[in-house]
Order: sequence, then structure tokens, then C-alpha cells
Amino acid sequence: MATLPALIERVRQTQAWKSVFRRGPARSNRTRSLAVFGNLFLHYLPVKVRERALRVRATYYLGSISLILFLVLSITGIFLMFYYHPAVPQAYRDIKDLQFVVSNGVFLRNAHRLAAHLMVLLVFAHMFHVFYRGGYKPPHEFNWVVGVILLLVTLFLSYTGYLLPWDQLAFWAITVGTNIISSMPVVGGRVRFLLLGGNLVGENALLRFYVLHCVILPLVAVWFIAVHFWRIQKDGGLTVKDTDERKE
Amino acid sequence: MAPEEMGKVTQRLRLWFAISSVLFVVVLAISPVKDLRHEWKQYKRAYVRYAESRPDTKRLLADYNPDIDQVWIPEMNVVDRCTTCHQGISKNSLADASVPQPFRAHPPIPHSIVNWGCVICHRGQGPATEVAEAHTTTLAWEQPMLPARFIQGPCGSCHLADRPETPKLNRGRALIDRLHCTGCHRLQNIDRPAMLGPDLSNVGTKVSRAWIYKWLKEPRTIVDADGNTVTNGYLTEEEPRMPFFKLSEDDLRALSGYLSTLRSHPMESSSINAAVLAKWAKNPETVSQGETRFRQMFCSTCHSLAVTRAGETKLIGGNIGPELTKVGSKVNPEWLVGWLRNPAGYLPHTRMPRYGWTDEDLYKVTRYIREQMVDPDLLKGVPALEQASPAEIKRGRELFLEKGCSSCHVIEGVPPQKDFGPDLSALGAKNVSQLDFGQSKIPRTLVSYIQAKLTDPSSVNPSARMPKFNFAAGDLDAITTALLSMTGPPATSALQHQVVPRDTPTFTAAGAFGEVYTRYRCYVCHKFNGYGGDLAPDLSYEGSRAQRAWLISFLKKPQTLRPTLVLRMPEFNMSDKEAATVADYLKMVLQHPAVNPDEANARASTPQLAALGKQLYEVKYQCQSCHTIGSGGGYVGPNLNNAGNWLTPAWMEAWLKNPQALVPGTIEPRRAFTPQEIQALTAYLMTLRHSGPAAAAGRGAQ
Repeated sequence: MATLPALIERVRQTQAWKSVFRRGPARSNRTRSLAVFGNLFLHYLPVKVRERALRVRATYYLGSISLILFLVLSITGIFLMFYYHPAVPQAYRDIKDLQFVVSNGVFLRNAHRLAAHLMVLLVFAHMFHVFYRGGYKPPHEFNWVVGVILLLVTLFLSYTGYLLPWDQLAFWAITVGTNIISSMPVVGGRVRFLLLGGNLVGENALLRFYVLHCVILPLVAVWFIAVHFWRIQKDGGLTVKDTDERKE
Repeated sequence: MAPEEMGKVTQRLRLWFAISSVLFVVVLAISPVKDLRHEWKQYKRAYVRYAESRPDTKRLLADYNPDIDQVWIPEMNVVDRCTTCHQGISKNSLADASVPQPFRAHPPIPHSIVNWGCVICHRGQGPATEVAEAHTTTLAWEQPMLPARFIQGPCGSCHLADRPETPKLNRGRALIDRLHCTGCHRLQNIDRPAMLGPDLSNVGTKVSRAWIYKWLKEPRTIVDADGNTVTNGYLTEEEPRMPFFKLSEDDLRALSGYLSTLRSHPMESSSINAAVLAKWAKNPETVSQGETRFRQMFCSTCHSLAVTRAGETKLIGGNIGPELTKVGSKVNPEWLVGWLRNPAGYLPHTRMPRYGWTDEDLYKVTRYIREQMVDPDLLKGVPALEQASPAEIKRGRELFLEKGCSSCHVIEGVPPQKDFGPDLSALGAKNVSQLDFGQSKIPRTLVSYIQAKLTDPSSVNPSARMPKFNFAAGDLDAITTALLSMTGPPATSALQHQVVPRDTPTFTAAGAFGEVYTRYRCYVCHKFNGYGGDLAPDLSYEGSRAQRAWLISFLKKPQTLRPTLVLRMPEFNMSDKEAATVADYLKMVLQHPAVNPDEANARASTPQLAALGKQLYEVKYQCQSCHTIGSGGGYVGPNLNNAGNWLTPAWMEAWLKNPQALVPGTIEPRRAFTPQEIQALTAYLMTLRHSGPAAAAGRGAQ
């Protein structure tokens, strides 16, 4: 029986492995860099990171946790989509059935809901943190704008998801919210009509919010998250301050 | 931490990693474990254990499955998972009260539980698989299970027609109808009648201002702690129709003043022939003869009087008309005469028939009413009321509208108010959040809301316009049941097909018979093809049953066939022509299709056959245990003394063959007579023609 490193080496020599990972083992700085550049996911990360940027105080990992929550929401959301019809009155019954008949349905729904609340909270915290560290200053000003867009997408995701249980809370929250929209000058009424697919919160509104919540907004979010991460690297990594070191 | 130590895997880091990993797995395991211990799964397992502890395990577990059971009725929008836990619901062997819930079987009902589920009748949350969610109100469910005593309510949501299985619902519906809730509220399945409260256009000619004041001020009806209803001081089964309004002293003066001026049309024909007056006014016998006449005419069939026997006062008599014990102190003498002559002249929709009085009888009876049916204390406590001032009249008229009086009472020139109160046609389907409980401390449920409103409307809403009714406890529940049945129109057309509509029979009598029929208000007591009252026999097939000559003599002078009954047909003093018109109409129109007169009439009766019939009657079938012939026999069935003059042979034959086919529900037993026996009995009964003395003796004995 071969040793484990020998076994790994043999796998690495196979045609299948080589077709996926074109470069050899990352044993030198060059091959390490090539490995990162050649990988769709890893190349979003900088090749090198300053030690100070890795310390907890530098970021509190707020952005990373937000990303993880986004992944959790995507996965639980897809599961929830298996059990949900965006129709009246079936929508509310589906939510009840999550509680009454779906295995671990309560866990699924609560995980999605709590993760959503937490994500809104952390995205805000992330924004404040970046702001107070001066992360909006050049060369990060574009990424700051992307971040603001992501904040809005997060809030809008949260808002559209609020209607989907189709209970009283949902109905009135969306009624109030869209009435606020309609007080926009000139276009307010039209935006509201567009959003609700009508003049009141009904079946059309439920369907529109469902499509926004499950298709359009997640796609927008994924796109801007990609840009956001990519720009961190392109802008020279995270904002690091001298004070990060001294306080230790 | 020094820079060179960063990224090193230390002992401490491993420990943290190990602890957090274990914690993560534990947290993730919570949900699956809770899922395994879900309430419905525990009940599923408990049922298996219970079934195994019984001898009929195999049968009880024959259709067992460990998953959720549900009844799904898409067209009614019902998902019903109650049987997941109530697993023995349709297992006959689990009907005993010793079987623990939730496994006990349901008592037998006309509907199949397997097809209909539970929530259609019991309410609650059908899709729920948790005890609290399914049975009670929760944050996300507002239609809890109905208390079992209102279970007949949901029957009425589909069965708009009354059914014998739902006495409480029927009682509630009847009360709502009789108490004229429709005067102010729109209700499902109960129509607004032509007349609600009495027409008050002319009430000033009937009663004094003082009496109106008293009537409005004091609730005539008191319900004591035991739930006994006392009306006008007498114990009664009846619910009062005129409710108690909260009126201030000024309101009372204004309303009584306004109403007492309503006398635009003086009472017609309210004078008594001068010759009669001259003969009877001073006669000491007048009042006692009036009383005899009052009794002979059987006024008590519709009206009750208080009778004191052995220190206990009771109302004796019918409940179609008002109770009359103190009416002599209430109404004006001229009005009384005019009313008794022609009730419809005062109230066009009254149920009181128009009797054919002689002036003499009329005078005696009114004297009796005015002098004997009195209460000197009736108007005690009423302040001295002068002629109403214009301001009072004006205010009274305003109040009449403000209080919603014109919802029930008509006054010429005052616009009627329909739907004065809220629409209640979908009250039974209301969610708790749709109800305004105000400051009251009652439980937040639909049932307690309805009952609080019915008991004292101001307890929920201090400024409620609804007056206070006084319901006995049983009637309160009955009305609540009926209101719960009103869940609005079916949501879908598919559901509409499930509704059993109410049968509303009508009977239109036209021509000469129509005039007599209307004059004597036959429909108040008798039924004609499904339309009419329940007090007296159904006359839908009377033409097949009775002989013409007998009908005429009965109408002219009703002689009872059932001496044990208290309520009898009143004596209308019909003319010969009227009686003949009625008899002809009954013979011509109201015939039973199964009774064939030609066949029976063609049969020859012989003395031998009649003798055989007599023997069958007396020996073989012992009919005398229920029926009276001559002076012997029972009182359960009608007196047969005069059967030969009364009944048609065809009816008798059909009756003996199958009484229930002619009168559904009659207590006459259906015997297996042979055709010969039927003919013999008919022949015998047709020989019984004790006209005159025997019948008169029977009548005099009461």
C-alpha cells in the first residue's frame, strides 16, 4: 500500500487531473500564483495579503460573513422554492404546510428568515465599519459605490421576501411600503403600479415580488458581489491602517 | 501574537475547532430530532401501542400507515388532517367512552367522516398537525374549534332548510325570525317579513299616553337567575319581541307624547247598536255571559290568560296572539270594539281572524274584557302626562328615527329604515380580529362576542344602538347557533352545489275561498300544501279525508275530535255560504293522490261485513285502547263516534293500509291488515253515525 503523498502524486499525474488543473503542484511562488490566476474563483483573491489585513480588527470578517449568509440564503431559498406556490391563497397554506407537514420545514423557513435578518444587519455593520475606516476614499471609491448598490439590493431582497408568506403582516407591510413609493414626485404612482402589477397588493403583486425575490434580485446580487470582490483585489487589497498593528 | 506565530496550528486552536465543530453538529441535529418527536408522530405511535393492548388489534391496524392522513376536498378548499391523530374516528369498536382521546370513534352522524373530514362542522385548523394549532386560536389562526354545544351551527351553513336533526339551530332561526332581528340586520336565510312590529299609524286610538310611557320605560320581561322568563309578571316560555331600549325621562315623555298623537284615522264601526246597549248595559249578567262566550269561542287557542291555581300563577292558552290578562286596562273601549269587529281594519297584516259577531256577543265580551281582565296597578308609577307639547312631538319623531323604531314599526309618512344595524349575514365566518371587543373583559372568541352582544349590547359597545333583549340561557345558545350558521354566500360556484336550499312553500287562495281564507286567517294554524302554521291539523288533503256535510257542520260549530287537547278551533260564527265555500274548495282542490274515492265508494257494505269489522276492532286489534266509540275507549286517537259522517270510506281504506303515507309521522301504528280486514273495518266505521247527542255529550264533558 502506497503512502498518502505517493497516492496524491499518482492522482496528479492522471490525464483527468491534468485536464482540470493545468499547472503542477504549487510548490514555488510562481506556480502558486499561476494556480490562483488560473482559477475562476481563486483569482478573485489577491495573490498576496498583508498580515495586518488578516487580523480580526481589520474587518471583523463582516463582508465574508455576509457572503456566507448569502450562500445560506441561496441554498435554503432553493429548498423553500420546492414547497412554495406564488399564488393566492395557496401561498399562505404552503407556509403553514412547512410548519405542519414538511420535514424540518420550520428549521428551513427559520434558517432563511433569520439569515436574512442577520444579513441585513451585517451588511449595515459592514458599511459602517468601512465608512469609519475611510474605506470609501481613493482608490476604493468605486467599490464603495458597488457596496452601496449591494446594500440596496440586500434591502430590496429582504423587502420582496417579506410579502411571500402572504399573511397580514406581509400584506400591510407591502401596502405601506408601496404607498411610500407612490409619494415619489411625478413617477411615484407609476412605479407603484409597475411594482404591484395593479393598484393593490394582490395576486399580481405576489407574483412580481416572487420573481424579483427569486430570480432578478439574486442575479443582480451575484453580479455585483463578483464585481465587489474583484475590485478589492484590483484596488490594492483591503484598507489597512497603521493603528491595526499598534493596538495589539 | 507575534507575526511568525500567525497561521500556526496550535493546541488551543485545535481545541476551539473541536468544540465549535461539536456545537455545530448539535445545533444542526436539533431540527431532525424535533421532527422525529413531532406531536402527530407521537400520536401515531401511541395509537399503535393502544391498538396492541386491545383484542381487536388486527382490525384496528388494518389501514394504519405511519404517515399523515388527510381528507382533501378541493372544491370546498378543505385540507383536513384531523384523522392523523384521531385515528379511530370511524372505527365502531372504539365508540365506548372508556377509549382514551384522541382515538375514540365519532358518534354516528349522517355524513361520512372519511369523505367530509372534521373542520367543515367543528371548525379549527384542518391542515394543522399540532394539538394547539388544530384546536385553538393562535397568532396565525383565528377560527378555533366551536364549543360542542354550537355544533348545529355549521349544519345550517349548507342546510338552509330546517332539518329534524338540528332542533337548536331551528329554534334559533325561529327566534331570530320571530324577534324580527331582520328589522335592523341583514341576515342570511331569513327574510324580512311584511310586518315586523305593529303598525303605529293609529296607535293613539288604541292606548293612552301613560300606557305607552310605561311600556317604553319598564321591561315587561325579567329573566331571573334560573333562566325563567317572566313577562308582565307571569312565567312564560315566550321570548319578548319588543326589546328594552335605554331611554331617558325626556325621551320617554317625547316618544309617548309623539305616539299618543297618532290617531289620524278614528276606529271604524266602534259603536254598539243602541238597542243592545239598552238591553244589556245595566244587566248584571252581562259580564258573566261575556266570560262564557269568551270561553266558548276558544279565544284561548291563540291568547293566554294568567290563572292562579294553588297559589301558583301560570299562563294558560296559546301563544299566537298576545297574552291578555291585563288588556282591559290597556286599550281604549272604542278601539276594542272596532278591533274585534274587523282586526284588519286596524292592522292589515294581523293574524287575528275576523269573527262574525252579533252586537250582543260583542258587547258582552268587551264588557267582560274591560271589567275582568284588568290590573288597577298597571300604570302605577307613571307621572301625570298632559297633552303632548309640539316640542315633545317633534323630539319624539326624531327619537323614533334615531332609535331605529321605524325598522320594525310603520307610521304613515315616516320613511322605513332597512338595514339600520350592521349586516350579519356573514357573522359566523368572521375572524376575531374583525370584531370590536371594546373595553370588555370577555374572552376573545366569536362565540363570547356574539353572546355578550345578545345579552347586553352595551357591555361591548357602551354607545350601541341595539336594544337589550332578555333571552333565557337555552335560547341564547340557540340564537348563537343560528348566527354561527350564517357564514355568507358560498365562496365558489362548486360550493354552491353543496348548499341545500330552503324550501319556501306558498299557497295562494283566490276567489271566494280566498276571501274566507283571508278573513278567518286559516293559515295561521293550519297548513295548506306546506304553507301555514303548525298548531292545527294539516289540511293539504282534507278534501280526501272529510265528508262535505261534516266539514260544513264543523266549520259552523267546531266540535272537538280530541277532547284532551286544550287548544281548539275557535268558533268563527261563519255563515252557511262561507262554510259551503270552504267545504267545496277543500273537496275540489285539497285531495291526496293515493286516495281513490271511486273504488271505495263502489264497494257494497253489508251488515255481515260491518259485524266482522266490529269484531276486528274490539277483539283482534283492540282499537279501543286509543280510540273512543260511545263512552268507552282511549284518548290517544280521535274520537270515532261520528266517523261514518266524518270520514270518507276511501280515506279510511287508504289510512288503514298505510297511515304514514298520508300523514308522515303520525303515531297511528301501521298494522298488517288484509284487504278483507280493511274493508270490514271501513264498513264498521262507516256505520258509526252518532250525530247529535253523543257528540254533544263529548263536547260538554270538557
